[in-house]
Amino acid sequence: MLFRYISKRFAVGLIQLIGLTIAVFFLIRLLPADPVSRLVGMNSSAEAYAQAAKQLGVDRPLLAQLATYLGFQPDIAPGLLQGSLGVSWVTGTPVTTEIAAYLPVTIELVTLSFILALAVAVPIGMFGALNPGGKADKGVFVYSLFAGSQPEFWWGLLFVYLFFFQLGIAPAPLGRLSPMSSPPDVVTGFMTIDALIAGQFDIFVEALHHLMLPVFTMAFILSGPIIKMVRQNMARALQSDFVLYANCAGLPRARVARYALRAAMAPSMTLIGILYGFMLSGAVLTESVFSLGGIGQYAISAVLNYDYPAIQAVVLVITAISLVVYLALDLIHAAIDPRIAY
Amino acid sequence: MLKRNVLLSAVAAAGLAIAIAPASAAQQILVLAEDVPAGLDYDGPSAAIPASQQGMVSLLEPLVGYAAGPANESGVGMPDFSKIEGRLVERWDYDPATLTWTLHLRKGVKGCDGATFDAKDVAYTFARAKSVSGAAPIGWFLSNVASIDGFTPAVFGDDPKAKELGDEVKIIDDYTVQIRQSEPNALFLPVLSIFGLLVYDKETMEKHATEKDPWSHDYANSVNAPGFGAYCLDKWTKNQEITYKANPDYYRGKPAIDKVSVRRVPQSSNRVVVLRTGQAQLATGMTPKEFDSLRTAKGVAVGGVTGNENLFVHMNFKSKPFDDPKVRQAIAHAIPFEQIIKTGYFGQANQWNGSVPSSYPGYKAEAAFTYDPAKAKALLAEAGYPDGKGLEAFADAFQLSYVAEKESTLGPVVNIIQSSLRAVGVPATLNPIPQTQYGDRQLVKGDLPFAVNDQEKPIGVDAGYAIQLFFVSKDKGGLNNMVNYSSPVVDDLWAKARIEPDAAKRTDMLAQIQDQLTADVAWLPVVEYKTQWAYSDKLKGLRWYPDNAVRYFDLSVQ
Repeated sequence: MLFRYISKRFAVGLIQLIGLTIAVFFLIRLLPADPVSRLVGMNSSAEAYAQAAKQLGVDRPLLAQLATYLGFQPDIAPGLLQGSLGVSWVTGTPVTTEIAAYLPVTIELVTLSFILALAVAVPIGMFGALNPGGKADKGVFVYSLFAGSQPEFWWGLLFVYLFFFQLGIAPAPLGRLSPMSSPPDVVTGFMTIDALIAGQFDIFVEALHHLMLPVFTMAFILSGPIIKMVRQNMARALQSDFVLYANCAGLPRARVARYALRAAMAPSMTLIGILYGFMLSGAVLTESVFSLGGIGQYAISAVLNYDYPAIQAVVLVITAISLVVYLALDLIHAAIDPRIAY
Repeated sequence: MLKRNVLLSAVAAAGLAIAIAPASAAQQILVLAEDVPAGLDYDGPSAAIPASQQGMVSLLEPLVGYAAGPANESGVGMPDFSKIEGRLVERWDYDPATLTWTLHLRKGVKGCDGATFDAKDVAYTFARAKSVSGAAPIGWFLSNVASIDGFTPAVFGDDPKAKELGDEVKIIDDYTVQIRQSEPNALFLPVLSIFGLLVYDKETMEKHATEKDPWSHDYANSVNAPGFGAYCLDKWTKNQEITYKANPDYYRGKPAIDKVSVRRVPQSSNRVVVLRTGQAQLATGMTPKEFDSLRTAKGVAVGGVTGNENLFVHMNFKSKPFDDPKVRQAIAHAIPFEQIIKTGYFGQANQWNGSVPSSYPGYKAEAAFTYDPAKAKALLAEAGYPDGKGLEAFADAFQLSYVAEKESTLGPVVNIIQSSLRAVGVPATLNPIPQTQYGDRQLVKGDLPFAVNDQEKPIGVDAGYAIQLFFVSKDKGGLNNMVNYSSPVVDDLWAKARIEPDAAKRTDMLAQIQDQLTADVAWLPVVEYKTQWAYSDKLKGLRWYPDNAVRYFDLSVQ
């Protein structure tokens, strides 16, 4: 039954991806600029323009370009059907290679940030709900409002100034490793994992150290809405009939709280899932402040340079990941909530 | 929870123990830049990006270059534009009868991959340029500008023969090459110093050629640019970092700095902070305000050069009301030049009184436009717009466009210009647009009516090159006439000056052209701002080059 549900979701996801791919293909061509102009530069003669347009393949009819992109004309260039996302118009490198370099950085950053944010936010949210109206609850409310309403780049810059420049306990915001360190051989693309695979524990620690401030920054921002959501859902759960019954039955407070948390986590997981998908591309400001070179920065650069293959690929990859995350959430929902069955 | 936090703190503390030591102890430096090369092929898609050009000039060597001149007041070495000297070329002869340059090549020059430089490398470089096989054929463009025979627009046609190198570039022997021009053109030697004709190591390039890519564009674009430069590529991760190591066989001597690591740090404020801690030795691309703040920082020096960077107001002759000379003059007198210099550039700029960079040979200083709002109003009234009445009909034309990515630098300047124009009745509004869109409208469509531009630096060091690039009519050979300016006087004079072999006569004609450009307010020159770098006060030897890229070979750490 579960296998059938997952298969169905993948099939629907595939149709969504195909639809999105075609929509994005046409939508980015409505952007108010011509990507060829970036290539011709000072040499903007008609001949040079035609040459550059030919190089990019934009001299061909739109449907022909789409056919090539989808992979129906492999003799011209490999396309999606051949597993190719195209070649960047800025760097000339296959987009698949570039995404394989940039995406792990962001996944590592966002995942660690979520783990930290959850580790902080869930107990705080619970605490606030279990002690409603108290000073601590008010404090939690102010914190969650404060953390959730400040832009991450501002916190990032502030943290750099404080923890690197003033206190000297954080490394310089120069990316994943110190400039004179050599990264481990790429196996998974995740610096921490690759360092462990290579047995380079010093590089592993250094990579974690360099992730410290960006993860703190993002976790600080993320914890705000998560605290609020957990607190509200927990408060609602604590007022539900089954909790009243549990209290009347004389169950220990900690046990009742665990039951309530389980009920509160189901809707909270939805928010967390949506936030995760959003942060994959929304972590760009944190990536920028800490020079991390993740997928968000890659996306911004692609958009600013009208690098169509890169834009298309980023949208496709982020969407695919989001679809998988949403599927995973549904499965977690089912595990948490016994009323849900597939 | 508590245990988890304690563990994280422990990890952070352990990481601190291995934090980077200042790089200046060894002869290696850390450079912080806005970006690292996106490609190393000057005929490739990223050639227009300054960070890519920085990579190319670090790895490849030109045939000729400008002699070193004295340092300026801030300690930055200046080139002597009156003297071109050999690099890979040792000396040259020119035969005016046959328009042929004979280049005598330097012997014993070795590249990073062990190849020895000879005439085949030069021929390969020109053959590759003429093949126009890259995305942006800059090598062809420069050869065309220098009137090298055969480098005509015919290369873009269907005839494959037109793309092949003929006897215009002839190998005489291993160390002698002859290059023939189609007409006398003083730009020949200046263009050979530009990044778009740096010499590739043929042997290594051909090793990486494929049937589909016979000129190794993919290799140069994504892997390495093999040449005979001062540095060799050590490590390169696009969008993150590039590291160069000194070429031990470099013909001008092994560079003093063994290793140069360039890191992309997108936030300029972070570049400032890291430089101030001493962990980096050189930082580029900050805002004028940040450079100003670093001027008093301990252990940091700021060097600046009034080189070839400037800011001007772009008014399109094809957009009403900018076709009216009085409106153009009125706008010129409404610009508060001193305020822009003080507020926008913190004093690190001068009013620009010309149409080409003042440091270039052939520049002529013109009478300065003065900030005179009363005169601006009077000129508007003469044009039929008293107090600006009637100009509201041109609201679209008065959208002052500028590159949105440069907001931190241009923001203060465009705001000053907008408020000053509004004060005299010009209904200017601000229109920040992305760089690519700006470039499209400026270079290809040519339909940008009104803009502030701070990114046009003619890379060929010659007033004539700048004039041909920006002011000559398109049908008379103009290359990038973004304001659709057309003057028979300018076109006729340029047609003569371009092929004038007598340097004095040519300079005189170029001066007449500049007089005309000023009279027509072809561009409204505003300021020449300093190209600046911030660096450790232990770093010595910084020199300025017209491409604004640092030559790491010049540097040493004391």
